[in-house]
Amino acid sequence: MIELQSVIKSYRTPAGENVVLDRISAVFPSAVSVGILGRNGAGKSTLLRILGGAERPDGGKVIRHGRVSWPIGFSGGFNGSLSGEENCRFVARIYGADLDMVVEETREFAEVGDYFHMPVRTYSSGMRARLAFGLSMAIDFDTYLVDEVTAVGDASFRRKCEIAFDARKERSALILVSHQIQTLRTHCERFAILKHGRLHFIDDIGEAERQYEALAA
Amino acid sequence: MGSLIGSDLLEGAGNQMRVVHALALRETRTRFGQHRLGYLWALLEPTLWILTLYGAFTLAGRESMSGMELIPFLATGMVVYDLFSKSVEKVSAAIVSNKALLFYPHVKTLDIVFARGSLEFATYAIVFVILLGGHGLLVQQMQIHDLLLVITGFGLAALLGMGVGLLFCTLSVISNVADRIRGPLLRPLFWVSGIFFAADALPSEARDLLLWNPVLHCVEMVRSGWFESYAANYGSPVYVSYWILGLFFAGLSLERHVRPKVQLT
Repeated sequence: MIELQSVIKSYRTPAGENVVLDRISAVFPSAVSVGILGRNGAGKSTLLRILGGAERPDGGKVIRHGRVSWPIGFSGGFNGSLSGEENCRFVARIYGADLDMVVEETREFAEVGDYFHMPVRTYSSGMRARLAFGLSMAIDFDTYLVDEVTAVGDASFRRKCEIAFDARKERSALILVSHQIQTLRTHCERFAILKHGRLHFIDDIGEAERQYEALAA
Repeated sequence: MGSLIGSDLLEGAGNQMRVVHALALRETRTRFGQHRLGYLWALLEPTLWILTLYGAFTLAGRESMSGMELIPFLATGMVVYDLFSKSVEKVSAAIVSNKALLFYPHVKTLDIVFARGSLEFATYAIVFVILLGGHGLLVQQMQIHDLLLVITGFGLAALLGMGVGLLFCTLSVISNVADRIRGPLLRPLFWVSGIFFAADALPSEARDLLLWNPVLHCVEMVRSGWFESYAANYGSPVYVSYWILGLFFAGLSLERHVRPKVQLT
């Protein structure tokens, strides 16, 4: 479970203060999948990073219960000069997970072939994302934070991700952000729209879709 | 209740150890793993320095320094100084070069500082043993006067380097001026930390002045501990500890202050 208490985050830009998250209070309960919609630049990735603790809010509080993953997506979290396997070992170590099991499961899941033993900086962005995805699935998190999963891999890999998500839904929460509603529909039970720094929760997908389309138009 | 807090602390310490251990292994790969000669360089660099200085001293007609044989004299100074300065260098980049670690918020700056510092300590401890052990084998003679003092001086040099590095790595978050002035600010230490001289051989006014430098204290401790023949003992573990406490206090306070400023790019 993650709770946000009037979280504020803003960035300084040449044009002045840009408030990305404006006093957001919300509860993301255990074992409930929440899909967050927002247009590009609405602050979705910032929100995920704050939920995961990679960034600190300027004001307010983030309370986490249980193990929360890092934001899983294309970017970051890996050391480019280490191989995929070495990165897996490192992450498994800091989370106190079983090394060999994590390495084996990730290798199988990520489908990067021989690249598994090559420095991560040689990976394509898709390979990097598959590695991150496989690795996070191999470590048991109570909450998974996922950034724009749709663009990762081909159809068969996406299918695999869906199966993995489904298997975890029973015990883990999933917080997915995307600018495409189709992605969220398959995975999420609740929805929220992030706009103008505020987060609006909507339980019904039809309603979420209508509001999001109105926003995009 | 008391035992509950105790077990929490113990669990926390266990987690911390796990993180530092994982980081140290990772740092070993990134520090040395780039090419096969990685480990060898850590040994070759001080060796080349020592040989060069040995050549210069021999040309100048010196065969020993205050009763210390030339090669071990240079080795004790050079390796301790290297341990200090490399610890500063590596720890100073702890935050900037490890931004990817922000993804794992339970990895703290202090963990990276300790991981990098321990790695330098282990590296130069091995270099020290190889160089001085190697020399001992060559001349068929080696006697350690006070091993505990050697280890104390060595450990304090590492902690001192970590303290200075911690201060600089937090300062570098505020301004990149910190990185630029670090080199020029610390370079004089190469000349005044006893690599080329023994404190005992200095005129007393110069010695009193140079003994403000805590690195010289570390070098003196190691030499007093290593050489039976060097009777002087100017290294003060207490004095160096004050420096370390002060540096860590300043560094950690600053780290708290700059923490929100560290951002993923």
